[in-house]
Amino acid sequence: MPDGDGQSGNEIEIEAVGKVFGQGDTAFHALSGIDLTIRTGEFFTLLGPSGCGKTTLLRVIAGFEHPTSGRLRIKGQDVVGQAPNQRLVNTVFQNYALFPHMTVAQNIGFGLKMLGRPRAEIAATTDEMMHLVKMEAMAARKPSELSGGQQQRVALARALAPRPRVLLLDEPLSALDLKLRKEMQTELKRLQVETGITFVFVTHDQEEALTMSDRLAVMNQGRILQLGSPHEIYHAPTERFVADFIGETNFLTLNVIAVQGRGADLALPGGRTIAARVAEGLTPAVGTTVSAVIRPEQARIVPQGTGELSATVEGAVFFGTDTHIHLRLSDGQPFTVRRQNNDDLADPAKGETVGLSLTPGALQVLRG
Amino acid sequence: MKRDSHRWKWILVSPALLVLILAASGPLLIVAVYSFLSPGNMGGVAWDFSTDAWFRVFFKRDIFEPENVTLNADHLAVFQRTIWLSLQTTVICAALGFPTAWFIATRPANRRMIWLFLITVPFWTNLLIRTFAIQEMIRNTGTLNTALLWLGVIGEPIEMMYTDFAVLLGMSYVFLPLMVLPLYAAMDKLDFRLVEAGYDLYASRFQVLRHVILPLVKPGFIAGSILVFIPSIGAYVTPRVLGGGRSMMMGNLIGLQFGQGRNWPLGSALAMVLLVIVVVALVFYLRITTRETGGRDGQS
Ligand SMILES: Nc1ncnc2c1ncn2[C@@H]1O[C@H](COP(=O)(O)OP(=O)(O)OP(=O)(O)O)[C@@H](O)[C@H]1O
Ligand SMILES: [Mg+2]
Repeated sequence: MPDGDGQSGNEIEIEAVGKVFGQGDTAFHALSGIDLTIRTGEFFTLLGPSGCGKTTLLRVIAGFEHPTSGRLRIKGQDVVGQAPNQRLVNTVFQNYALFPHMTVAQNIGFGLKMLGRPRAEIAATTDEMMHLVKMEAMAARKPSELSGGQQQRVALARALAPRPRVLLLDEPLSALDLKLRKEMQTELKRLQVETGITFVFVTHDQEEALTMSDRLAVMNQGRILQLGSPHEIYHAPTERFVADFIGETNFLTLNVIAVQGRGADLALPGGRTIAARVAEGLTPAVGTTVSAVIRPEQARIVPQGTGELSATVEGAVFFGTDTHIHLRLSDGQPFTVRRQNNDDLADPAKGETVGLSLTPGALQVLRG
Repeated sequence: MKRDSHRWKWILVSPALLVLILAASGPLLIVAVYSFLSPGNMGGVAWDFSTDAWFRVFFKRDIFEPENVTLNADHLAVFQRTIWLSLQTTVICAALGFPTAWFIATRPANRRMIWLFLITVPFWTNLLIRTFAIQEMIRNTGTLNTALLWLGVIGEPIEMMYTDFAVLLGMSYVFLPLMVLPLYAAMDKLDFRLVEAGYDLYASRFQVLRHVILPLVKPGFIAGSILVFIPSIGAYVTPRVLGGGRSMMMGNLIGLQFGQGRNWPLGSALAMVLLVIVVVALVFYLRITTRETGGRDGQS
């Protein structure tokens, strides 16, 4: 770990947490063997497809669900068995859950009121929060009189007002249209930096996860598959699911020729050899077939005969900023190259044979 | 007469009452007209205009000195008891109905219907039979006293029959489902995530109840209170069987005028008073309970 200052830098420590719903035949493992450390002040994201257990994990942290097994510490203190109202953790719910019978100001002040803070302090903090989320003009409205984006901001202000140590955000932006969503992403990030509160953010939007997080965990079927910085997750996925879920990618099935330390030499179709990185914890055996990935933007089309690979053009799709060129390698595997449209390069003609040059060190061998 | 004009004014300013009168105009009109006639010899009415019945609702004339007019304390006591018992019944039903409805609303969806169904079971039996069953429970030689005597908890039977307590017990039992059902309907619509949001924001259980749940199920309380209070005010069978002559309510007083009393105009006037009490109570109640929600669009 880069900051390595141990206990004091860790906000939430989750050890071997499991959650089973139901019993016997109907038992469902919503979470299995979750190990996770969230550092103080970081923007941490849980990313995964629908139903993978993101909300369940968030609810375990908030205290709404009790883990079936494992340990959970907040700021070094064991909180299993502690009620939600005892934890200095607040939640922005997936559907906002604003109190419909209270005004915007009353909603925002609710947490402080329950904490028994003096009236003057509640009023001052409420004003400050409304200013922070730019909702001053709507203090006296009821939630039903607000737009989705406004409700979202109120939910955020309500959760921030008691100054929690940790803010849990369950897909807070999923109900918003694209433009508002982008705006709110920037705003959330700004709020997180300004307040210094640890954010645990849930999303199933990979782009959102990559742009906002300091670190993220990719989940599937109740497990954490990979944990790391957006850069690590994008460029060095360890599992097929992660590589596939985040961005577009090329999967290649290749033979291992040699293994040295954290790398391996693989045989490419056409006879050349390439050095590849190997996912942590994996030691491929020489002579076996492995699965490797490379992102479409990490390959370039070069004149026939040069580059590591040779491929036939199958078609090109224009995306505005870039073009996706679909190819087929000499052994029949599909391959896509993404080329930025910054100069007037003509698209290669269908059926043309071209060479492919791969960015050195970009190929990554996957687990499984 | 002064009091009459006052009453009529009330009717004119109360559109709710107007609607009620129009809707139930037939029988009501007859009752209203009867209250201004004279009693017939063998019951019924004689077609002579008279305000005597109305006078007698509130006042008493000394038999020997007719100019000595006093308030009719007996009637006023019955009015007072009726209102007081009905209010108590409503409060008891609300207090018992809330946890019951909450229990049902928090069961798994497929079980809730069974519990709701069980709540309605008492309606299958005739009210009179159920009331006599309560009498059997609480009379001096009834089940409860016998058991307590046998256990040695008490030395002598507790007198429960023909007391306000007996009437209260009977009415609470009979009207409880009328509180549970609308409360359940309100709770069923309650978004339990709001309860979680309350806990998340440091509210204690009691604070969640007071600041989140109660305000949100208020419509259920309002509907339930109305459904319990109105039939309580007009209750007849329960106070008759369990309260007897000692703990009489307006329903019984009215019944008496049409029966033994043979004073239909007085009975009619009393019935009108009953109606006014209900309407006034309703208007007053709706005013105070809907005050804050009434002004919800006032701001922007
Ligand atoms: N109370 C419960 N009882 C039984 N199963 C549950 C319960 N809550 C969640 N589950 C199951 O656990 C799994 C994970 O649910 P969870 O809500 O955590 O998913 P999620 O990752 O948040 O999905 P989404 O992106 O759709 O919100 C789902 O398959 C769900 O059906
Ligand atoms: Mg979810």
